[in-house]
Amino acid sequence: MYFDSIQQLIYMGGHGVYVWSAFCISVVVMLALVLKPLCQTKKEFSNIRLHIKLHQVNQAAMEQEDSDAPNS
Amino acid sequence: MNLNLQWTWFHRLGSPRWFYQKTQRWLPWLSLITLFLIVTGLVWGLAYAPPDAKQGNSFRIIYLHVPASVVALAGYYIMAIAGAVGLIWRIKLSYMLMRSAAPIGAALTFIALVTGAIWGKPTWGAYWVWDARITSMLILLFLYIGVMALRHTYSSSEAADKASAILSLVGMVNVPIIYKSVDWWQTLHQPATIKFTGAPSMHPDMFMPLLVMIVGFYLFYAVTLILFTRVEILRREYRASWVKQLVADKQEEK
Repeated sequence: MYFDSIQQLIYMGGHGVYVWSAFCISVVVMLALVLKPLCQTKKEFSNIRLHIKLHQVNQAAMEQEDSDAPNS
Repeated sequence: MNLNLQWTWFHRLGSPRWFYQKTQRWLPWLSLITLFLIVTGLVWGLAYAPPDAKQGNSFRIIYLHVPASVVALAGYYIMAIAGAVGLIWRIKLSYMLMRSAAPIGAALTFIALVTGAIWGKPTWGAYWVWDARITSMLILLFLYIGVMALRHTYSSSEAADKASAILSLVGMVNVPIIYKSVDWWQTLHQPATIKFTGAPSMHPDMFMPLLVMIVGFYLFYAVTLILFTRVEILRREYRASWVKQLVADKQEEK
């Protein structure tokens, strides 16, 4: 390591505030870029599941209607 | 006949299903390599590289600032080219890629601007300067946000796709301006550290971690683009039988 101690690595000769704040902001933004699509994938999956269920319920209702209708 | 054979790969590449299934296998490996490169590059650059003779330790921000800027710019080309391919060949996947590229590009441009501002304070004495490079990067951020916002102004996604593609193509004018801004105008921003022609103006001890970070950021871009595009595929193809099958299979696994 270039620095003699962890304290010096954090302090960086007075520039630590700048370097580490830049580091933290970048890491937070990059983590958000990964987590957002992962959360959305989960949401989409449950949406599609709901869509399939609604479709099935609709289908069943329509079949019911057809069989209930009097034969002409 | 021969022509048909040559074009099949192109159409397969444009199939959302093919993309979804292929990337499923690529993602774990790609993510691992990306994580390894970024962690290595950061530890190397922040803790092991020597400080700059003039700027001291504040120069270490370069290991975040330059990779984010480089990929934010390259990402704009990717978004605009995807838009053009969508307009010309009407490939659905291409529009999905374009749509997914916008938030990633915006986030990377944001990182570039914020880290640049933080770096500016100890180096120039100010967080923000209306310098040609910085201003053109800010325009890039607005272009990305514009492409993201256009989606909500149209009720049909087809019209929104076309409008976004045209906006990203028009905005492409800005990209060479950003690249050349440090040469065309006498500004505060330092000239490019890495050039395609000639050796980098940097000691190898400082340059190697930067190279690792740039490759790492490109791969990070690929990983996030794949993740966002997969969401877009699910959102648009929810009626397709393969998507329904996928959801049913997933439910059984649980």
